Amino acid sequence: MDLVDIISEKRFLGQEFLTWLWYKSEERGGTIFLPGAGDIQVVFEKHMLLESGEGESLEKLICKGLQTELQEARTGLRMGKKLEQARIYLVKGDYEWRLTLGATLFEYRNVSLPRTLAAGEEVDDQIAWEAKVLERIGMSEEAMHTIDELFRMFLNLRTGIEWSQELVRLKSWIAKGAEN
Amino acid sequence: MGLLSRNATFVRYSVEGELPGKFWEFAAERIAQYAFQDIDDTFDEYSIGWVSIDNMFDSSFAHASYAVGDYIVLSLRIDERKVSKTLLQKFSLKEEERLKKEKQIPRINRSQRVRIKEDVRLQLVKKSLPLPSVYDLCWNLADNTVLFFSISTKAQSVLEDFFKECFGVTIMLQVPYLAAAHLLDVSQQERLQELHPDIFV
Repeated sequence: MDLVDIISEKRFLGQEFLTWLWYKSEERGGTIFLPGAGDIQVVFEKHMLLESGEGESLEKLICKGLQTELQEARTGLRMGKKLEQARIYLVKGDYEWRLTLGATLFEYRNVSLPRTLAAGEEVDDQIAWEAKVLERIGMSEEAMHTIDELFRMFLNLRTGIEWSQELVRLKSWIAKGAEN
Repeated sequence: MGLLSRNATFVRYSVEGELPGKFWEFAAERIAQYAFQDIDDTFDEYSIGWVSIDNMFDSSFAHASYAVGDYIVLSLRIDERKVSKTLLQKFSLKEEERLKKEKQIPRINRSQRVRIKEDVRLQLVKKSLPLPSVYDLCWNLADNTVLFFSISTKAQSVLEDFFKECFGVTIMLQVPYLAAAHLLDVSQQERLQELHPDIFV
């Protein structure tokens, strides 16, 4: 299968993951237990794009708001839409990121990296410059690897026998969210 | 939105294919060979090549190396002289009018119009300045992945071709289904292939 076919036939995988991740983050008030890392914070905020259908029947719903409860988005889920893009606040250990994750292509947009000692400093020698570059790469990769681990959690469930039970809980969360 | 900017935007690729044993020597040779060539003082329409992520005018990496730890960090610079369609249409029509008057003919035939349009396009290209676009990338040699700091599909397509031409290996965009293959064991991967979309309501 070439990449174009994979994108069109398997795009549901990323959208199901992102939708599941929103449910998972709200299950324990924004905290998810990540095997090997312990509790991390995953909070959905500010900006969401939901989609349903494909081709000519594709419908999109954009939801934005600083302190919003994302009611429109929850209603969208109830109508069968899934998350295509979401702004996520991520905290792991001492570090925090804000990033927008796209579900179909797994693109990372507007990734704001943790504030560290080296951040924002002007560097004028090669060693300090390399250290700054390595730190930025390391922080970008750390965010990506954390999302990978969350994706692995989802995939383990999705390809396993526990998925049917998880799906019942997920459906119940979606139904409840739309009532509130 | 690049590697050094405050807010970064990127996609991930996996690198597919075998790299030569003396990799750093190979990389040095290829990066030098495919370094960006300036076209400001020429009439060339297009130039593409590597520059330093720290300075788009540094294609010899004199001020900052592309080798940083186990990573190769580069910027892909593309300079292109572009002519707007409106300008091309305007000056082509102007030239047609001039020729009609000069030759005292009522109209210009199709083949002449095509030739006039191409001549005008070449004249306008020579007058226009090359527009630069710069995209950062970071190649993690330990796990053979590339972060490319652009979500433009056009830029991604150009990178995929240029990377293969330069380094002789293919890069594959890590969309969720392909990324999943790196996270699952063989039996899970087989089950993944069989999955169909679920309805969540």
